[in-house]
Amino acid sequence: MSAGYRQQPNSSRKDGKRVAGKQVFPPPGSGGSRPVMKERDLDYIPKSVGGKEHQPAGSHIHDRIRTGTIVGKSLPLVDSNAKVTGQAWYGDDVRLPNESIGKILRSPHHYAKIKSIDTSKVEALPGVIAVATGADSPSSFGVLPVTKDEHAMAVEKVRHMGDLVACVSAVDEATAIEALGLFEIEWEILEPVFDPKKGLEDSDEPIHWRGKYHLSKTNVQKRVFQEFGDRSLVENPYSSSHGKWTMHGVHHGFTEPHAVVAHWDPNGRLQLYTPQQVPHYTHRALSTVLDVPMHQINVIRTFVGGGFGGKSDPFPHEMCAAILSRKSGRPVRITFDREEVYWINRGRHPSNIEVKMTADEEGRISGFDIDALIDGGGFASFGHVTSYYNGVLATAPYELGSFHYTGARVWTNKPASGAMRGHGAVNTRCAVEVGLDEMAEEMNVDPIDLRLANLLPPHSRTITGFRITSNGMREALERVRDGSDWENKFRKLPLGKGIGIGCGFFISGSGLPIHWDPNRFPHATVHIQVDMDGGVTVHTGAADIGQGSTTAVAQVVSEVLALPIEMIHVRSHESDTSPVDLGSYSSRVTFMNANAAIRAALEIRDKLLNAAWDILGYHPNTLVINDRRIYYKHDPAIGVSYLQALHKAQEDKGALISSGAYRSPPMGGVHKGAAAGLAPAYSFSAYVAEVDVDVELGLIKCTNVWAAHDCGKALNPLAVKGQIIGSCHMGLGQVLSEKMVYGRTGHLQNANLLDYKIPSIHEMPHVEPIIVESSDPEGPFGAKEAGEGPLLPILPAVVNAVYDAIGIRYNDLPLTPDIVYKGIEKKRKKLKLEDATELPNPRYTHGPKSIELQKLLKKRSEEHRKRDIARQTTEDTSAYVNGVLFGFDPNIPLEDQLEGWRMATEPDPEQLAELGLAGKAWLKKEQREMGGEN
Amino acid sequence: MLMPPFILHHPKSVNEACQIAADLIDQNQEFDWVSGGTDLLANYKWRINTKPNVISLSNIPGIDKISNLEIGCMARLSDLKGKSVHPIIAEAASKIASSLIRKSATLGGNLCLDTRCFWYNQSEDWRRSIDWCHKADCGTGADCRVIPNQNTLCVATYQGDLAPVLMVLGATVHLIGPNGERVMPLSDFYQLDGMKKNVLQKGEFLLKVTFPKESRQRIGSYQKLRVRDSWDFPEAGVAASWIEGDVKSIRLATTALESIPKDHTEEIEDLVNSKWNGKESIKSLAALIKKSVKPVNNTALPPNYRRSVVQVLVKRALSKINGDS
Repeated sequence: MSAGYRQQPNSSRKDGKRVAGKQVFPPPGSGGSRPVMKERDLDYIPKSVGGKEHQPAGSHIHDRIRTGTIVGKSLPLVDSNAKVTGQAWYGDDVRLPNESIGKILRSPHHYAKIKSIDTSKVEALPGVIAVATGADSPSSFGVLPVTKDEHAMAVEKVRHMGDLVACVSAVDEATAIEALGLFEIEWEILEPVFDPKKGLEDSDEPIHWRGKYHLSKTNVQKRVFQEFGDRSLVENPYSSSHGKWTMHGVHHGFTEPHAVVAHWDPNGRLQLYTPQQVPHYTHRALSTVLDVPMHQINVIRTFVGGGFGGKSDPFPHEMCAAILSRKSGRPVRITFDREEVYWINRGRHPSNIEVKMTADEEGRISGFDIDALIDGGGFASFGHVTSYYNGVLATAPYELGSFHYTGARVWTNKPASGAMRGHGAVNTRCAVEVGLDEMAEEMNVDPIDLRLANLLPPHSRTITGFRITSNGMREALERVRDGSDWENKFRKLPLGKGIGIGCGFFISGSGLPIHWDPNRFPHATVHIQVDMDGGVTVHTGAADIGQGSTTAVAQVVSEVLALPIEMIHVRSHESDTSPVDLGSYSSRVTFMNANAAIRAALEIRDKLLNAAWDILGYHPNTLVINDRRIYYKHDPAIGVSYLQALHKAQEDKGALISSGAYRSPPMGGVHKGAAAGLAPAYSFSAYVAEVDVDVELGLIKCTNVWAAHDCGKALNPLAVKGQIIGSCHMGLGQVLSEKMVYGRTGHLQNANLLDYKIPSIHEMPHVEPIIVESSDPEGPFGAKEAGEGPLLPILPAVVNAVYDAIGIRYNDLPLTPDIVYKGIEKKRKKLKLEDATELPNPRYTHGPKSIELQKLLKKRSEEHRKRDIARQTTEDTSAYVNGVLFGFDPNIPLEDQLEGWRMATEPDPEQLAELGLAGKAWLKKEQREMGGEN
Repeated sequence: MLMPPFILHHPKSVNEACQIAADLIDQNQEFDWVSGGTDLLANYKWRINTKPNVISLSNIPGIDKISNLEIGCMARLSDLKGKSVHPIIAEAASKIASSLIRKSATLGGNLCLDTRCFWYNQSEDWRRSIDWCHKADCGTGADCRVIPNQNTLCVATYQGDLAPVLMVLGATVHLIGPNGERVMPLSDFYQLDGMKKNVLQKGEFLLKVTFPKESRQRIGSYQKLRVRDSWDFPEAGVAASWIEGDVKSIRLATTALESIPKDHTEEIEDLVNSKWNGKESIKSLAALIKKSVKPVNNTALPPNYRRSVVQVLVKRALSKINGDS
């Protein structure tokens, strides 16, 4: 394993001192280097632009640079004009002179060795320009440096139907298609594996081979074990829930199919146009595969017609286009059919998830066991991370007595799964939230009160060591409860109508830049240039995939410099001109890029203020910058225009330039896998969904959603609302209708947009987006992510609402009408009812014990409410760590207080027998332990 | 996706169309008819049973007529509404596919819709990798993939919405071809087999549909089962019609459950002629229909589910009859 994954191994010496260059592990509950926000100086903000305004979440470090220009105002995205007028150029819109059309030959077999490829007939076909096979691309690549297991074209064997075998470029598409039929290939068919459970067993021919690290002869790509907390709490629970889930794979379903144009220019440099979320990784992978230095490659990101994680891997077809272009000297354009989009996939993993939860008599969550077996398909992609995320991203927002997670990702002969909006967190989140509801049902208490009485406060530490800063979970829950009239609906609606709750927790930027040392290089860099005309050009590598990152960057620069947004021009398309940025994934862009942009803008602002000082004679501390004018704060009549100050600053120097960067603070634990799920901030969300279930047909219709999301600070409320509503749509697809169907032959049966059922406008409920602003101390103007987190809660909210409507718990997603019907029929027959319309629906059955517990929860959540407000503002700065709810002292490490406190990343030998499905991967040994390849 | 090449013929009259067809038959050339193209051209792009010639009906004037008792084959589905169209037809037409598709799709095309199957409606590469199927075997004589080891019958599912509705209104179809015009009840137009589909002979096309006067007295309903309220083909469909106050006049037809739409009027004759007992009678009718249909596993939802809920659809289609007579 590469050092990149254990964030800081061996970071403390035996004598307790810090090892040079290594981060220290902050004491539990410290909430990082700055546990609370700094007090704000209201003198810095003129009243006219928001001084003395009500800030419920406390002051923010960026308050002093607010000019009231644009942050927090709803405005259309800066690139929307190009899109609505059809002038935005997407991947397939790039037309270079003399272009040729590339087509890819794909495997007709699920799993086979290529014994020989004869291309002579292809080459002889008139109109064919270049042909390439695996022999032209021997170097492997992959999105994660630890799992480089892909090739541009199959080198030795194909791993799923649709895997790339060879490619050809020709004068037109028809010729290229004809050429594909002329390849002569000798195959040796191998026995495919489709069932992830089979992937745990030894096979004659594992899909990949990892040498000494290979797990026996299985198809396990990654296994994870994590156990934290006091396991003795799990014994004799007051209440428990147990859910065994089957979740189908889902695809992003973005509008624009993959497309790429490669051109080896006259100077011998590669110009590659591609709709990429992460152009930088493509840049690196191209360099490896083509064996040319990175500076000889220019990756040009076109507009991206939707990504959602599906365009964040470096893709083999990008390499193919480059190889064909290098061979022919002509530009090559490759555009996918929709079917090819499904074959390259990278959608959400098909998962088998088992969640066991327990609660004690005070309604505290004492046990939290997750077992997740995920089906990775043919390649690793982001799977290494997904294997962790399935467990660790479920450990908040609740305070847990113990946490036990076993996860395994296996290779199968299916298109590769990867990262998709809500990466790795969505499926377990659904299982966990439904489990909580089940426990609330068993204890006869309100599920919202159960949640409110178990939340971690702001500035705290989770059980596995994540640092939580701002936390708007409580407000989100309260606002959806009040907005939906929960008290009058829950367990009170007639048969077929139901209401349900679900919560979410997601990272706002991955804390670790996977390709380099986080202590030495920043996550994001932004350059700003201001020339004599006063226009501000911002260079950034942030990839706008429709979420509005370009707008966010323009907004913060505009805010700091007090300029209209029309004066800010963002250049983000070319790697030649933009500083390195990790791209759009793990909801990092606004948090990291806008922070970098603020720093760069501050440098320009200082230069302008100093120039104004020169002219006016007043110290910058007494100057106010506002709407293209800088003036003396005690007499606004004394001032200079923006251009005057700019030209003064440019004297002898010319254009002003600045550079700003963002680096995440030191944080997190040191155990194996500690870096997975680590983020500088976390978003929180709570949804209430209302459904109508047709009890005779089994059709579910979601009618209303109250969707509260804590995004720290909505830089652009319009964009945040768009993300919330869009997330609802995407999540509803997974919970109600979308699935990748693999038939009995292992073929993907529905690789098209008719049979892959993305909800239409008719299926969309009325969504009421509720923005919660908890003002994150480290976010740009307090902002956190809003792109992925809002997807999580809709799934459990709908599943819980279905239970409220018909009293049946489903553990299979999606809830297609046949699954729902089956459940209804089973219950109808069990209760010996004539008709499904006679089904009883769930009601509270209060007893003295549950009434008491309900009171206790109410009381506790009221106390915690006060605690949270105090911690969010400056009053309470004491440490808080997961475990305080169970009576532990946050200032002493838990393992010192409690003998049973465990922190393990490998199972004890005696545990092996009782591990869950994915945990079975721990029964196998690595090759090096078996005396295999060393 | 690239459209395969074909020669497009544009006859300006019905006679010219028949003549072109006759000429192509003489030259031993294969051809397809196209009206709206929303079914055929999508299949062509997937290289499913493509032909070198396509005869378009879109330039022939007068065959898109819509009146009380007659609808021409080129009538667009989006135009099947308003006073002169029977309310059940309007109801069913409004549920077909999406509003964009309804703008170009036609009545004739919908009645002659190709049968569908998830082993068949796939790209050429996909079908090659399963060694083709019986319906599009590319000359290999491939077996059926839905029910293997029988290659006499194709079980692809007919998923048109209009046919059952027209059946319960007693529609008659008028076919025309080089050998003249043929007229028959719509129920006789379909022929069991997912490949043959209907009785159209080479060179013939469906010209128009006419209705008996009695149909204007009929009321009824069309129930469509689908996952999404747009785009989706029916997973099951039930049409019912009756003359107000006369339960003996009930007609029932189903679609999307077999290779052809099915007119159940004869099957239910005994039941509706015996003593009518409101809900109980409807229940027996529903059970009878369920027994009579045999869906197979080749659409989005499993066949046992589709078969079970046919009962619910029948019940709902007849719900307004309760209390009558």
